[in-house]
Formats: sequence, structure tokens, C-alpha cells
Amino acid sequence: MNSLPQELIDAVIDSLPRSSLLSSSLVAKQWQRRSQQRALKKIRFPSEAQVDRWCTDFPQDPEGIVSYVHVAEFAGIDSWYDSTIFGRALKGLSSLTELRVSVTGIPDELPTQISRGELGKGITILRLQYTSCTLATTMSVIHSLPNLKVLSIVDPRVGSEGPLRSHPVTSRRAPLDSLELWGDVDVGGIGKALAESGFTFRRLSLEVDPSGVEQLVMLSSETVAKLALYGV
Amino acid sequence: MDFPDGFARKIPHHTLSLPALTALDINLQAGDPSPNLITILSSISSAPALDSITFEHIMWSIVHPSFQGPWADMDRWLVRVAQQARVQGGLSVMLRLWPKGMPVWEGFLRDFRRAGGQIKTDAHN
Repeated sequence: MNSLPQELIDAVIDSLPRSSLLSSSLVAKQWQRRSQQRALKKIRFPSEAQVDRWCTDFPQDPEGIVSYVHVAEFAGIDSWYDSTIFGRALKGLSSLTELRVSVTGIPDELPTQISRGELGKGITILRLQYTSCTLATTMSVIHSLPNLKVLSIVDPRVGSEGPLRSHPVTSRRAPLDSLELWGDVDVGGIGKALAESGFTFRRLSLEVDPSGVEQLVMLSSETVAKLALYGV
Repeated sequence: MDFPDGFARKIPHHTLSLPALTALDINLQAGDPSPNLITILSSISSAPALDSITFEHIMWSIVHPSFQGPWADMDRWLVRVAQQARVQGGLSVMLRLWPKGMPVWEGFLRDFRRAGGQIKTDAHN
């Protein structure tokens, strides 16, 4: 087994179903790294306890297995007993490129925690589904990710409390690849806030009823190549 | 016409230029084109690179297009866009989720077809 070239071993591991990766990581030392990289590429945290355990079991180590995580999803955590845990977990994920937050509260501290470190620079995809937080926090999270390319916001539950932090015009950036903005009541405010912050997009996928959406189309008029209108 | 939150009234007609737009997807859910949609589309003054428009409807069989009403408004808008299109082959309309075996109504988007526009379907079961 040890005489096999690493490329061949990697190809075999890449063809395995995800459910086999734990076993394949135990075959031999040569099999361990690639198996772990694949197994941990996407991780999902379904509870605060799991997040807490992750922070305890895998302290920050830029070269360690934590760096294998590229996609992290926090799901079903309506509210946090310890509002700093979300940020601490993210801080350790040095290779993160995609952050998904579903049916989960976003603590007001999170944007500041992201902005403090290098984490925000790696994230290019942000997906928020049924999140609950203030509009100010939602916008601050978006602003804390300077290299964002894909933004998806579906049915957010946005609280009205908290003033919107103003972001200087100089923070405006190149057009993002895409914005998906769907929902009933609260997406209008987000659309408006995005437009007022100067975000532009190449692809827009919008529910058209909420206010604020028209500004996005107008502001992205020079850049938008694909426009999808839903619920009309 | 009642626009939610002053939404559609904010876009003046024929003022929006979308020079990079190549594809427009419109999901109609289960209804005809709404006044809001027509207003939004009417705001587009030019989209010269647009080469495909897709209409998706979950129940095409219940649609009753006529020479008046929202589909007629849509037809007029399509004619205007088709006449402006500078893409090779012209503008085409795709009807997504079209019932397999069902012919496209003869007069559907009549003026658009007369203007050289093409209608395609992706017939499914």
C-alpha cells in the first residue's frame, strides 16, 4: 500500500463517498491528509453545543485540520447563550471561503469579530437564509467581507432596532458576481441598504415586490448581465 | 394602479439602459404578468445585448393570453426590445416548464413573432 504514488491515492480518495472518508483516513498515513481534507471541506454546526465543542477540540491552528474547512454552515441556532462563540469558531477557520447561516441568529458582535482578523478577506460567498438579526448587523456582516463575490439573502427576519452604521463611499467596491435577494417583508430594507451602500452586481435574482429592489437594478444597470425576476 | 410602497412608480418609463444585459428570466409563478412587472420592463429604454428571455410558469395550461391585457402589454414590450436587439440571430423567448405535446397558442406574442422573434419551449412531462 505504501508503494502507491500519492497522486493515485488521492485520486482514489476523491472518488470515495463522503461516508467512507473516516475509514479511508485510517488506512495508512498517506491516506490521512487527503481524507481529512475532503471530509472537512464542508462542515455544518447544528447547535451551539457543537460549535462550542469544535472551538474546544480544534483550537486555532492555521496549518492544522481546521484549515481544511472551506465551507461552514451554522444552522438552526435561533439564539446564542454565549454570543461570542460564533465569532470564535469563525476566527479559527482560516481557509473559509463560504459562510452559510440558516435559521440562526447573528449576534451584533459578529461583524466586529470578523473585521478584526484576516478571516473576512477569504470569504467570497455569503448565504443568509431565515437569519434573525438587525438590519444594521446584516449590513455590517456584508461590509466586513471585502472580497465578497456572491451574496444570497433569503427570507431574513430583520429587526428594526439599531441604527445603520454608515460606510464611507470609499468602501465601495467592484461589482459583485451575483445577488440573490428573496423574501417577503424584510428584504426591501436590505435591498435599499445595499443600493445606498453602492453595491453593484453582474447577476441579480430578485423578488420584485419589496421596495429598494428598483434601486439595485438602477445602480447595477451598467454591470448586470443576467436579471431574474421572481414572484411577479 | 396600486404599487406597493410606491415601488414601480419610482422608475420612470424608458429611462433604464442595461447595456450588459444578455439574459432575462421571469418567473410568473401561477399568474399572468403583473402591472408591476410590466412597469419594470417598460422602464428599460435599451438592452441591446439581450438575446434571451425566459418565462417560467408552473401551469402554462391555465394561461389565457389575449390581444388585450398583460400578455398584449408584454408583446408590445418584446417587439420594442426585439427591434433594438443587436445580437446575431435576434431575440428569443423560451417558455420554461411547457407541457409536453401542448402546442404554443397561435396568436401568442403575435407581434413579437411578426417582428422576427422566436419562441421556444422546453417541453417536459
